[in-house]
Amino acid sequence: MTEQQGRSESRLLRGAHRTLTGLHPVFESLLAGVVGLLIGALLMHLYGFNPWKAYIALFRGAYAGSYEIASSISRAVPLILTALTFSICLRAGMFNIGAEGQLMVGAAAAVCVALFALPTGLAQIVGLLLAAVAGAIWSLVPAFLKLWRGVHEVISTIMFNWIGRWLVLYLTIYVLVDPARSERSLSIPLNARLPVLVRGTDLSYGIFVAVAFALLIYFVLWHTTTGYEVRAAGLNPSAARYGGIRSKRTTLLAFILGGMAAGLAGATIVMGLRPAYAIYGGGGLPQLTNLGFDGMAVAMVGRNHPIGILVSALFFGGLNAGGRVMQFYGSNPVPLEMVRIVEGAIVLAMSIPELVRIFPTVKREGERFIGLLRRASLKARKGGDSS
Amino acid sequence: MTQGNSYYLRAEGITKIYSDGTVALKEATVEIHTHEIIGLLGENGAGKTTFTKILSGLLPPTKGRVISPNGPVRFSSPREALDFGIGMVHQHFALVGTFTAAENVALSHKRPFSRIRLAKATERLEALMEESGLHVPLDVPVEKLAVGEQQRVEILKVLSRDVDLLILDEPTSVLTPLEVDELFELLTKLKQAGTSLILITHKLKEVQSVTDRIVVLRHGELVGDVRTEGTTTDRLAQLMVGQAVEDGVDAVELRTDEIPIHARRAEPDRSAPSVLHVEGLSAKGNTGDTTVDGVSLDVYGGEIFGIAGVEGNGQTELVESLTGLRVPYEGIATINGENILGKDPRVIYRQGVAHIPEDRWELGLVLPFTLAENAILGVHQWEEFRGPLGFLKWPRINAHVRELMDRFEIRATGPGAPAKSLSGGNQQKLIVGRELAKDPAIVVASQPTRGLDIGAAQFIRNLLVEMRNKGRAILLVSADLDEVLALSDRIAIMYEGRFMAVCAPEELDRQKIGLLMGGAVVCEEEAT
Repeated sequence: MTEQQGRSESRLLRGAHRTLTGLHPVFESLLAGVVGLLIGALLMHLYGFNPWKAYIALFRGAYAGSYEIASSISRAVPLILTALTFSICLRAGMFNIGAEGQLMVGAAAAVCVALFALPTGLAQIVGLLLAAVAGAIWSLVPAFLKLWRGVHEVISTIMFNWIGRWLVLYLTIYVLVDPARSERSLSIPLNARLPVLVRGTDLSYGIFVAVAFALLIYFVLWHTTTGYEVRAAGLNPSAARYGGIRSKRTTLLAFILGGMAAGLAGATIVMGLRPAYAIYGGGGLPQLTNLGFDGMAVAMVGRNHPIGILVSALFFGGLNAGGRVMQFYGSNPVPLEMVRIVEGAIVLAMSIPELVRIFPTVKREGERFIGLLRRASLKARKGGDSS
Repeated sequence: MTQGNSYYLRAEGITKIYSDGTVALKEATVEIHTHEIIGLLGENGAGKTTFTKILSGLLPPTKGRVISPNGPVRFSSPREALDFGIGMVHQHFALVGTFTAAENVALSHKRPFSRIRLAKATERLEALMEESGLHVPLDVPVEKLAVGEQQRVEILKVLSRDVDLLILDEPTSVLTPLEVDELFELLTKLKQAGTSLILITHKLKEVQSVTDRIVVLRHGELVGDVRTEGTTTDRLAQLMVGQAVEDGVDAVELRTDEIPIHARRAEPDRSAPSVLHVEGLSAKGNTGDTTVDGVSLDVYGGEIFGIAGVEGNGQTELVESLTGLRVPYEGIATINGENILGKDPRVIYRQGVAHIPEDRWELGLVLPFTLAENAILGVHQWEEFRGPLGFLKWPRINAHVRELMDRFEIRATGPGAPAKSLSGGNQQKLIVGRELAKDPAIVVASQPTRGLDIGAAQFIRNLLVEMRNKGRAILLVSADLDEVLALSDRIAIMYEGRFMAVCAPEELDRQKIGLLMGGAVVCEEEAT
């Protein structure tokens, strides 16, 4: 009887696994989003908040009006770009964890526009270019280390995040410092800023930079021979070699494009984010921190596809924007950190199909272990009786 | 029914319908006895693999059950099946490449958190190797071993679990005749010891030489369950393909007899310069040893030059050297007078080389890619598919894929279907189609029909013959001796990186070939 139950149960799990792995990627991401929100709700409930009210506040704060939507989009802008960094390199078969550092270096490079007097238009272009080039250079070092010395890119990009962070902090405090305000860098001059797109919000023309770059990446990856080579090398390096694809080239290209995206993300912040248009040094670069890592989550949920990333960045941007509303929501002030928990839960939930698959094994081994313990304790008792 | 209660396992009314609606098996009932070798025959897609996967716990049946004398059994994983005593050796191996043979075997015994006693495992494995006669190097990572050796590790892995039922999926497709004999000897020995065996194969001759009973599947239905003694090769072939295989003008005969009759040859023009000229080529293998040792050969337009030999005697490295995947340290190789050594595959393809690679999953295809994306691998930079600014001409590519699907009978839902959703035969047809569509000067075909059913293999062989008749040069490397003998106009026997003999296939009898492949006879009189 119990055996019969066990069997039908494992069949159920198998069925669930088949259903989950057979899901269209879009539904898998949606499911992960829902699971993440449910876990957040559970925690809110445990801590005595009303999850229903909190989520209403959050989503109202994220998407209820044009001001809210604009705020969400403005938070999505850097995430789109750092997510692209991660997914381009993943498509090429590498884990580029370095968006964080590349973004900071890009931001510092963009600030350099303040050193020259350039006409409007040209100033923006130069600023964005400087940032893109700086980001690319910052990501090329790990790329070359990988190609020449075989240093694994995960290690080197993480290390370069730290080098970049402290380098930018140094530059902010000592080199690019605003003589009048020692806690921050020079401010981007008025005519070099990315104009505000929706009056009264943080949303600037940076969104066009991000969307254009996403579309560019989409066309490069799926409609050009170069992108074809990058994807082939990422999925099967041996077959790529057989197909005459030089994987060193695709590696470099992926890192360059990825670094450019992260650098641009830095530029959209310093050139497009009110009110300071500068890098704050105090507290360790607060505006620039974590955007690179959040981008990885955005990339995962967006299935490493540029179009998916646009949607998932809007969702994550909404969580961040709405979270601020949620924490000030009168009777039910859920702390902003809850949003981070939801984000983390979503990333974990992305692996649900695999978890379901291993569940029967875990269960069986657990039962085996318990059986072992029981036998051991039985033996011990017997031994105790005889003595 | 006379043996009603002496069976070891009885698969009863097994039906399998995949989630996409494909009916892989329909009401198949098979009894498996101890002291018996069963041959499971059928074309690709006939349901052989599905059937064995159900037996070995990889797949649950949609309907039907498996019964042992003690009642019904049901496995939810291969491990449960192994614990029961059913082990399977798959066609595509499940080995950890960086582990040695001993470690791989030890790993298969591992339970979560249990200790691995490597010394003990090695000792046991050595005893098992002695007992079974299957020998493999124990201290080399298995990825450095030849495919045939890797298979032996797989068999050892399963044998070490003391199985009562051993299922082998296409075990002979990678072995040499001598190794096949050894394997069959081992199988017979196991049978006598009381093990039941199921042998999946396409090779009629083999299935007849070793099995006691033959089960034939066609399109998921059990169409024959016959005793081996009372049947003929023709009858089996008929059961398997459902109709007599036609013997067209150019078709290679169905391989039912010792050496099949040659397809008609166009006499190649050997006075013209050769298409492929190789002189004193030496190359190192992955381990750093010289595996190709001063090979010289000429392949002329309009001939098939076959290389036979035990796998791991330098054939792979020779092919890789000629297709840009390996840089030899010595020698000359030219195509129509132009050097190809040390050049990138990209450049070599432009010079007119088509390469049908040995391992279609590892080299030939990017499995997650679609049919269309795979159809341009290696030619994606050619003007035909590449527009200005490097944009891919998708409409042109899709049209090209439809042409390939038509011409090479690739069965798929469309150019957008992922390559991994195709059956093995269709995957290989896709590769062959892609390569032949280049209209190459020379086709380098390495194990072009490995693991394919008769229909697909025959189709591909005919394509090679057709290319030959069009005046193209073909270099054929195959572990399937019958295939090399049937197709080639000239053959070379390769042993330890050298050619033992180069001659017309008629000039050597099988015994002599066997000896040459084993490196036993040095043929002075065959100096060409």
